[in-house]
Amino acid sequence: MSFIRLVEYSSRRGVATHPYPEKPFEVDELYRGRPVLDASVCIGCGACANACPAETIRVETDYEKGVRRWTICYDRCIFCARCQEVCPVNAIELSREFELAARSREDLTVVAEFKLGSCAKCNSYLDVSIRHVELAQKLLEKSELVNIMRELAKYTVMCMKCRRSFFVEKLGEATRGG
Amino acid sequence: MSGEASPREVLEKYVERLKQLLPREAIVDIKVKGKDKVYVEVKREYLPEVLEKVYWELGGYLSSMVGTDDRNIDSHYRLYYIISIEEDIRHLQWKPWIVVYTKVPWDDPSFKSTTPKVPAASWYEREVKDLLGLEPIGHPDPRRLALPDDWPEGLYPMRKDFKFYERPPRQPKPYMFRPEKVSEGIVQIPMSPIHALADEPSQFRLFVDGERIVDVDYRMFYVFRGLEKLAEERFTYNQTAFLAERVCGICGYAHSTAYCEAVEDALDIEVPERAEYIRTIMLEVERLHSHMLNLGIACHLTAFDWGFMELFRIREKIMKIAEILSGGRKTYGMNLVGGVRRDIPRDKAKKVIELLKTVREEFKRAIDIITSNELFVRRCEGVGILPKKVARALSVVGPLVRGSGIPRDVRYDHPYAAYKYIRVKPAVESGCDVLSRLMVRAREVLDALDIVEHALDQLPGGPILNEEKIELVEYAKGIGYDEAPRGENVHFVVIGKDSRVHKWRVRAATYNNWPALPYMSRDYTITDFPLIVASLDPCYSCTERVVIVDVKSGKTVTVSYARLVHLSRKVSQNPTHTPQLL
Repeated sequence: MSFIRLVEYSSRRGVATHPYPEKPFEVDELYRGRPVLDASVCIGCGACANACPAETIRVETDYEKGVRRWTICYDRCIFCARCQEVCPVNAIELSREFELAARSREDLTVVAEFKLGSCAKCNSYLDVSIRHVELAQKLLEKSELVNIMRELAKYTVMCMKCRRSFFVEKLGEATRGG
Repeated sequence: MSGEASPREVLEKYVERLKQLLPREAIVDIKVKGKDKVYVEVKREYLPEVLEKVYWELGGYLSSMVGTDDRNIDSHYRLYYIISIEEDIRHLQWKPWIVVYTKVPWDDPSFKSTTPKVPAASWYEREVKDLLGLEPIGHPDPRRLALPDDWPEGLYPMRKDFKFYERPPRQPKPYMFRPEKVSEGIVQIPMSPIHALADEPSQFRLFVDGERIVDVDYRMFYVFRGLEKLAEERFTYNQTAFLAERVCGICGYAHSTAYCEAVEDALDIEVPERAEYIRTIMLEVERLHSHMLNLGIACHLTAFDWGFMELFRIREKIMKIAEILSGGRKTYGMNLVGGVRRDIPRDKAKKVIELLKTVREEFKRAIDIITSNELFVRRCEGVGILPKKVARALSVVGPLVRGSGIPRDVRYDHPYAAYKYIRVKPAVESGCDVLSRLMVRAREVLDALDIVEHALDQLPGGPILNEEKIELVEYAKGIGYDEAPRGENVHFVVIGKDSRVHKWRVRAATYNNWPALPYMSRDYTITDFPLIVASLDPCYSCTERVVIVDVKSGKTVTVSYARLVHLSRKVSQNPTHTPQLL
């Protein structure tokens, strides 16, 4: 009895398999696939590297070459979209791409380099990229506390060492003046 | 529910009962935490006595046991026995958790084993011995459990002075399978261990008399990955939520939820209602795909491949639902401490509800056809019986315990997430056999479909993540729990420094279920064994290679997994057929 029902039911069902890879597999529009970096927007701040649970995004500072190097290796990526979530300038976004087979780890690695800013005083490299500095200045200029912030904007292009001595100097001036 | 005692009243009643029941000199301290937890500190020498009373007289089930290395705080180790009080108070909404804990001094790392009184503690105490070096005195089975056989003696990886990157030299040493019942005519069959697809590789040794299984011994933990160590030394709180999702390949989301709940419990973080609903929806979606997978495998092992194919075809729709809701088919990656990361827009919810309707219709029809297949039913009926008494003694969880007539279900017993608002009735069957477990799963699929649909429809508004600054309270303890497809998952967290956990203990559902395997397999045939293992819902493909050893002649025959499955299927087609293995 059940066998007859089974044959009857199955014959109505037809073919259920999808002819992949001949026909591409459609994924939902909000699918989490390969994260793609828009290097023209990225400031190399490293927020994504900080949040990445798989620690596959890394940001290193190379003082010799004067660059900040951003690296992602897709073989460790878990496609969680934490990087997209924390990015302050929306430079990284998850695509819908999921076919990531490759022959070597190098093929799965993407590197972006950002020039480091240099100190306005001693001309040595800063810890952050030029773009990062520019963004900080732009934000400070837009700020409502115009005067103080414009003053502060000057200091952003100084290395830590110069900034410290600059402040000590200023403090000295202020105390002498007072 | 009106007329019911408030959680606080229930809790106070139990504190009173504890004080009456336990010997006065045993108790050091009793503390109430939150609305349903009691922490009882007892003296080390009274541990077995106290645990026996709480387990058997107060009607508790052992949910987890954790050993922590607190030598940097007060030169002690601590042992926490987490017990869920359920019996006699099944009707109450808030059932208490009783955490019995004791201190073990650093210079005398041993304690009296509770296993002779409470058999459910067996694995936990062996694990504490392996990983922390705390010796359970009087344990009936003190062999290694968690560490590999070639791990050097006297090196304990979960102690704080062992770093996660250390790689000690190997010291090969054979593992002794229990020769307990080997006598004349009994043959040992090792089913050894690795298959790439198995979620838990393990080695079984069957002691058989002809075709009849006399006893089963096993060796597990081939994939002990030390995730807990990694979280304690390398990851931050929110990173660990993603690591927790990688504990299991099938029910990962349940682990990540349990972890987040444990941290939220420790730090008293409030989760917005909308986030609770979204967690519930994803947990049920996970249950749907896991149960369909298990039912499909059961059909496959009984040579009813139509059922396997049809259930997997329906399951594909569930994977699509997960993709629409979370952006990933299997790893949802939705949880953070304090809520969820991804919202469910209205139009997506509508699309999913439409899909659920077709799934319900098709699943009902498939189950109808499967259960009306006499061959299938006869193959599963009366096989792998787990008596209620054994299930009680071993604190078994999930469909396994519900198939043996005990209505244990965390969703009902300790409502978490949105189960506070959506009450679930546990699906119980009383047959105690493979068929009962499958029926429990089939009923839960239908329940889960209702819950997802209801929750999507009733999704409350508001934020999805509590973004207030989190105040870290050092050494605060928290318990997180949820009902994964396989049963209750319990996570225990102790908050540490530098936004890392001091201790994270994961207890997956199958941990409590494995020790029941020998009781379920005795007196059945070798060909029933894959089916019994599958009804536990752990790893069906781990019996990759079967070596049969004739003890008397030393003759060895190797049988492939495919052949074993073939034999299992052949028996369903012809019940009188006796396969010749040797």
